[in-house]
Amino acid sequence: MDSPVEALRDVSLQVTAGEFVCLVGPSGCGKTTLLRLMDGLLEPDSGQVVIDGERPAAPGPHAGFVFQSFRLLPWRTVLDNVVFPLQVQAIARAERLDRAREYLRLVGLEDFENSYPHELSGGMQQRVGLARALALEPEILLMDEPFAALDAQTREFMQLELGRIWEHLGIAVVFVTHSLDEALFLADRIVLMGPRPGTVEELLTVSLPRPRWNYDFRATPEFLERRAYLWQRIRGMVADQPEFRAARADEALAPAGRV
Amino acid sequence: MRVANALPVPVVEPVERAALPGAAAARRRFAFVGRVSVVGWRLIALAAFLGLWHLASIPAGKLLLPSPIDIVPAFLDEIRTGQLLTATASSLQVFAVGYLLAIVTGVAFGVLMGGIPRVGETLEIYVNALNATPRVAFIPFIILWFGLGTPAKIVVVWFQAVLPILINTYAGVQNTDPDLLEAARSFGARRGQLFRHIMLPAALPYIVTGLRLGAAMAMVGTVIAELQTALAGLGYLMAQFGGTFQTAKYFAPVLVLAAMGMFVSQMLKILERRLARWKATQTQL
Repeated sequence: MDSPVEALRDVSLQVTAGEFVCLVGPSGCGKTTLLRLMDGLLEPDSGQVVIDGERPAAPGPHAGFVFQSFRLLPWRTVLDNVVFPLQVQAIARAERLDRAREYLRLVGLEDFENSYPHELSGGMQQRVGLARALALEPEILLMDEPFAALDAQTREFMQLELGRIWEHLGIAVVFVTHSLDEALFLADRIVLMGPRPGTVEELLTVSLPRPRWNYDFRATPEFLERRAYLWQRIRGMVADQPEFRAARADEALAPAGRV
Repeated sequence: MRVANALPVPVVEPVERAALPGAAAARRRFAFVGRVSVVGWRLIALAAFLGLWHLASIPAGKLLLPSPIDIVPAFLDEIRTGQLLTATASSLQVFAVGYLLAIVTGVAFGVLMGGIPRVGETLEIYVNALNATPRVAFIPFIILWFGLGTPAKIVVVWFQAVLPILINTYAGVQNTDPDLLEAARSFGARRGQLFRHIMLPAALPYIVTGLRLGAAMAMVGTVIAELQTALAGLGYLMAQFGGTFQTAKYFAPVLVLAAMGMFVSQMLKILERRLARWKATQTQL
């Protein structure tokens, strides 16, 4: 069961300050592992993570993590959830509250500070998750499919909100997603990763002008071309995986059946 | 679909009422069932029980089963002499100190065993073995080591109560959502902070269950210890009155124990209700 699997090999990635990087790729390509290495939640067997010239020894205030399943503490109020990382980092009590309220205001939840997580919708819970990750004022924000558990409408709205907050704070973001639309909407650069073991296959720069919510960015030739290209690459990578073989067989039959 | 929606339940009811004209009358006749509160019903049940008790005591005789009517003067008499109050104070002290010690040590060891898997895996089997052994078996040794005074009784109470608290805390900590632990670690939480801020609150519902079981065990422990040492407390009164066949007086300390048990379990219920506010999440997620 515990036989080691090589999750990542020869991965080299540089994220510059204030840059928005999206990691995309098929399941099992080590996107999440890479994110955990960057935070320090996992120790690399070889290689290193360097942030601002230093090697962080353990997870800490240098990076803020946002999880797909929100992971708020159910017994704490919204405010106390945002206070939590500040408490862990032993920041003075008065400053904790000020800062937590400041970031709750940034995500638009200042009126819900006394609610419990289960009283909020999924989108609101993830806003708390975002405020909590930002409260330590990290240099880099690591987001592991943060909007995957939300419905389509909430998801688009959260993408807008994140875009706005990112431009306001000028923080570096590494964002894992399965949605190419999401990646193309948010990213300065897209890192395409391949599976078994996880590698960086390609780096794509997205030069669509910002802010991208001011126009129908999905109608631009760059979006369409990039999306089609990425989709084709990912499809090529997963085609060999057993769970997709049946789908390929169906595809082969479909044109014949239509005639 | 619309037909199904247009058939609301109330349509059926008037038909039923019309068909059974007696039903409405019966409902009216038994309407007091709904008007009397739960507390009212509890008092009615108590009165019925006391009535049956009194009836049973008539053929049994005062010695074998004193009537509740005989117990009241005996109770008042014991209050007047002060012996009931002294005994209650002594028992409460033994109970409270032993129980609090059990809470502190049980929760601490439970968190330690749950938080450090190697410790838990090592000790679990022995804790379960001890829990399966009747703790009464150790009382002669406890008396040998600690004498017949208050310390021995506190040890007996502690020993009775500590294991259910420890075992439930351990189970609760083991059930901590590993995702929450990882989230806390991502903010730089160290082991001690994980214990205090994640594992302990996550285990709280389990701990309260342990506290409830532990309170009952501590109560039993208090009486057993006092019966065995027979120097002071409610158990001592019971041993004295029981041994000299003063059965009416015997019931006074029993009633006090029942009241103590009721009080403690009500306090724990209030504690549980305070937890319920955030607990709703766990069923939702």
